[in-house]
Amino acid sequence: MKIEVLEKDERNMRLLIRETDVPYVNALRRIAISEVPCLAIGEVVIIENSSILQDEMISHRLGLIPLKTDLDSYNLPEECECKSEFGCNLCRVTLTLDAEAKEGTRTVYSGELVSENPEIVPVSDKIPLIKLAKEQRLRLEAYARLGKGKNHAKWQPVSKCTYKYLPKIEIYSKRCDGCGKCVDICPRKVLAKSQDKIEVRDLMACILCQDCVKACPQNPKAIEVSGDENTFVFNIESTGALPPERVLAEAVKILDKQLEQFENDLKVKKDED
Amino acid sequence: MIIPIRCFTCGKVVGDSWEEFARRVKAGENAGEVLDSLGIKRYCCRRMLLSHVEIIDEVLRFYEEAEKRKEARNFY
Repeated sequence: MKIEVLEKDERNMRLLIRETDVPYVNALRRIAISEVPCLAIGEVVIIENSSILQDEMISHRLGLIPLKTDLDSYNLPEECECKSEFGCNLCRVTLTLDAEAKEGTRTVYSGELVSENPEIVPVSDKIPLIKLAKEQRLRLEAYARLGKGKNHAKWQPVSKCTYKYLPKIEIYSKRCDGCGKCVDICPRKVLAKSQDKIEVRDLMACILCQDCVKACPQNPKAIEVSGDENTFVFNIESTGALPPERVLAEAVKILDKQLEQFENDLKVKKDED
Repeated sequence: MIIPIRCFTCGKVVGDSWEEFARRVKAGENAGEVLDSLGIKRYCCRRMLLSHVEIIDEVLRFYEEAEKRKEARNFY
């Protein structure tokens, strides 16, 4: 397997993965979505709430805020040594909020949450949590724990995690008369016409919709679009909780662990027989 | 009521873009172009902002008025 990074920034990553197959890439995608843990607020103790939103609604909003996660120093609650329902310092982060509108209506932002660990903070300081009218007050204590996307979407470290085959476009210049119908119909503007010849302008943008093939008046068709079944364009967009490359690295680790577990289970079954 | 924190469909955080979006659209910019410049590409996230009505402002008006009346009573 060969991996090439096409694009990368803080939140997004686009990879070209060669010499692999669908089962492996799809396993990575599914694990990135549902098995890679990240931190999210799970329990909220409301001390005072005179705002116009109910306690439940505020706690739901708090839960959805993505928190910057440090996977190395925190344990999943079910794997933590403390075995406590309430958690310990290794599996729980406490965040507090004390907001009051003293001078007229104001918005309370996620940046006002005070975390006991300065590393574990909301990914954005500007998410509006609630609006308070004058004299209204909101005081609460929230507990964030690690969790997995399969239990609740708030624990999903990625908002987009997709892959597609690397497109392969072939234009048969002998049959093509350069009418340009395929260029006009393409929704992603993949093709371009230059001097009665059709050229591929942006191969990566192709979504394999086959519209250009259908539009071709020639018989047999002068253009052919297919996907390379062993090469994938892998797209990953993180919510900000974990860097995208970390999500992928964790996904690979988890897949290995699960395969090992599966192998052991098989061995045990064999011994029993 | 108030802008949702995440996109209902994909889970991208959209709440933090709302205030800039609302301000710029109110100032007369084209909503689609504002969304593009905020980096909100997918149509699931775009509809979150496009179709949102901030009703909390309307509800808060009742509390603001009540507060004003209370202040007026204290004044006399």
